[in-house]
Parts: sequence; C-alpha cells; structure tokens
Amino acid sequence: MKKNAIEIKNLDFFYGKSKALKNINLNIEEKKITAFIGPSGCGKSTLLRTLNRMYDLYPGQKAEGEINFYGKNILGAKIDLNLLRSEIGMVFQKPTPFPMSIYDNIAFGVRLYENLNKKMMDERVQWALHKAAIWDETKDKLNQSGLSLSGGQQQRLCIARGIAVKPKVLLMDEPTSALDPISTNKIEELTNELKRDYTIAIVTHNMQQAARISDYTAFMYLGELVEFGETKKMFLKPERKETENYITGRFG
Amino acid sequence: MSEHIVSSFEEQLKILHNTVIKMGALTEAQFSNSVIALGKNDEDLIDKIVGKDDRVDEFEKKIELQVINLIALRHPVANDLRETVSAMKISAELERIGDLSKNIAKRCKVLKNKVPTEIYKTIQNCAEFAQKNLKLSIDAYTNRKSEAALDVWKKDKNVDEFVNTLMEDLVTHMKTNKKNLEDDTHLLFISKNIERIGDHATNIAEQVYFLIEGVQIKGQRPKGEDKLQAK
Repeated sequence: MKKNAIEIKNLDFFYGKSKALKNINLNIEEKKITAFIGPSGCGKSTLLRTLNRMYDLYPGQKAEGEINFYGKNILGAKIDLNLLRSEIGMVFQKPTPFPMSIYDNIAFGVRLYENLNKKMMDERVQWALHKAAIWDETKDKLNQSGLSLSGGQQQRLCIARGIAVKPKVLLMDEPTSALDPISTNKIEELTNELKRDYTIAIVTHNMQQAARISDYTAFMYLGELVEFGETKKMFLKPERKETENYITGRFG
Repeated sequence: MSEHIVSSFEEQLKILHNTVIKMGALTEAQFSNSVIALGKNDEDLIDKIVGKDDRVDEFEKKIELQVINLIALRHPVANDLRETVSAMKISAELERIGDLSKNIAKRCKVLKNKVPTEIYKTIQNCAEFAQKNLKLSIDAYTNRKSEAALDVWKKDKNVDEFVNTLMEDLVTHMKTNKKNLEDDTHLLFISKNIERIGDHATNIAEQVYFLIEGVQIKGQRPKGEDKLQAK
C-alpha cells in the first residue's frame, strides 16, 4: 500500500515579488527516491528548500499553499522549525562538515535533540557512520577534523550527520555534483541502501543519476511541474514533449 | 521533433536510421530477386543473390557497431533510446530475411526441373504478400508511421494462410508425382522460408510500433492455422 511522506498542494513560492514556483501539486512517496530535474532556474532547488522551510532563514521569501508532512501542514505558523529539520534533514551540493572532529560532527546535532550518555552516543555515532558507509574509513580517526577527509568522504560524513538524528526524510541538493565518479557511485549506492528506512528527495543536474537511482522523477521548467511519474516511464516514453526534449538534450 | 543541442549526436542518429533503411532496401531486393530466380531458373541472378548476402551481413555488423557506440558514448534515453535499440533489433530481422532469401536462391540452383507453372504462380502469390508486408514495414520505419506498422502486424495472418494453401498443394503434388519428390521437398522449404520472411517482416512492424509509440502492440499476433502441423 502506497503511503506518502509529503503531499504538496497548490504550492506557490515567492522571492520578493518574483514567483518562483507556480501551483505545484506533487506527492512524495514514503521510502522511495524522488528526483527533481530541470534546467537551472526551473525551481527544483527552491522546491526542495520549501520542504524543510530552509527559506525561512531569508527575509522576503514566502511559500503559499500546503505541504503536508504525514498529514501536518508544515507551512503553518505553529511549526517548530528545529524539530521539523530534525525530521527532514538536508545534504547540500558542497560538503559542509563542521570544523570539529568527525565524532563531534555527528554528535553535535544529536545533542540538540536527545540527551544520550557516552555509551549511547558512541553507539549512535558508529551507527550513523556505518549507515552512511564511511565507518570503515573513519573508525580509527574519529578525533580528527572532519575537514581532513576527502570531498567524497566529507559528503558521506554530512549524510551520516543528517541521518544521526533519525529523520524521516532526507533532502539532497545535487549531493554528488562536486564529487569524482567513484565517490558519486558510493553516494548513489548509499541512497539505495538508505531508502529502506528513509524517504529521499534529490535534486540533480545529472539525468543519468536520476535515471539510475530514483523511483520517481519530476521534471520542472520555469517554476512549473511539467511532468511527474515513474522514472522508468519518464526515461523511456515521457508523456510530455517538453520532458522528452529536455532529457534527450533537445532543449534550447 | 526539434534537433539535438549536440549536432554530432543528431548526425549519428540520422546515419543509423539511414543505414537501416539502406539495409532494408537491399534485403527487399534480395528477397524479390530470389523469387524471380526461382521462376526463371536464372543462374547468374542466383549467384548474384548468394554473393550479395555478405553485404547484408556487413550492414548488420555496421549497425551493431553504431548502436554500441551510441549506447556507450551518448547514453540515449526516451525516443533516442528506442531509436537505437530498434535499429539493432530491426537489422537482426533483416539479416535473417537475407539468409532466408539466400537459402531460396541456393535451393533454386539444385532443382532438377522447371517449377510447374501452377505451383510457381501460388509461390509468387505468397511471396508477393510477404514482400508487400516487408516493404510496408520498412516504409513505416522510414516515415515513422505507427498506424502503418499496426496494419502490417494485422496482415501476417494472410501470408500464413497463403503458405498453408501452397503447402497443401505441394503435398498433393508429391503424392501424385513421386518422381519429383526431391524438387518438391525443396519447394516445401522455400514455402516455409517465405512464411518465415513474413514473420520477420511482422517483427519489424512490431519494433517500428514500439519505436514510435513507446509501448508494445497489445494482444496476440493474428496467426493463420498451420494445417500441416495440425494434421
């Protein structure tokens, strides 16, 4: 039985007076990977940023409509943003480890939400690093700075940090665009593992990546959702001509 | 359909499409010549057909290489993927038609007597149906017409039925003219080849439909009853 983690209804988004998202309606299925593709400026990153209200950090940006996260509209005024972001984590394009030890990179977020003793925290750190497929590479140097890791390792550390607080949804904004192919493969493999427990929404410019890893693909253009459907169908026979032109490289 | 941003990709797809069309034209000629050779017992024409089969095979290899290169280097998706995969599958069907035509020609060479006029006329009728279906399939590919491909798919039954009648005639002929058993056996195989060419033409039509529509034709292909097997 399909269950949606997030249901987006009639969503508009504004940067000041400029409308960046126009009447988006879309469901993000639980424990599946949903990819957002489209040319630069189409609104895909903006849409991702509405899902954990990241835009709230910036004045003049506002969202209208509904984003129901397990039935609760997160655009409402009474939402605890810190709690929301612990449930909907985010990984960015560039790896952003904190300037602290690998261990603390993971423990830092957990301490904000939970009061764990040393042993439990050790277990949580190990669990998160393990889940993010970076435990073997870091277990002997947990006290070293997170910044000492390679780009690909840093990104997996950020994913570990994201899942350490046990979110329900993981948002990924071009998580591999700054990584080499081997690190990219590791992250892609990891997303496949993670979807057993988490719902993942990923923005990517790499169409083949969307094809490889996602269950559903959304194609956006000029702030509108042009087509949304099963990835297999989108890459074999999309319904809309605009989608076909974009994914085959005929857009211009 | 608008053109690719990368013009060399567009160019490669066009070359692939045109190579399949050229292979189709050659295969059509091979088949129709084999039927002409059967009627005239024309040794030169037979040798020409057998010799040209290498060109059909070369076309298939060429298309296969083009397809592998496209997949490896361009990662085609959607209609481009269907175009690429269809080219490979259609060329494999054409290669089989080429082989079957060559086989008809080779059998012409070993016939001891001229084919009886009545039997040749029936063979010619069957072949015309199969030729027409082959031509229509290749035209549907060239002009990207899924409706035309669907029509061919529906008509394969006609070829089957004609071939069944032909085979029954041949069996009757074999019973009454036992001196010609060897020739008649070759003619039976020739009839079967024509039926299989009809099947390959229909496979091409199915592929063309998939290429254009992105879905396979629904349902069972209409087939004529195989009367010889039924007995």
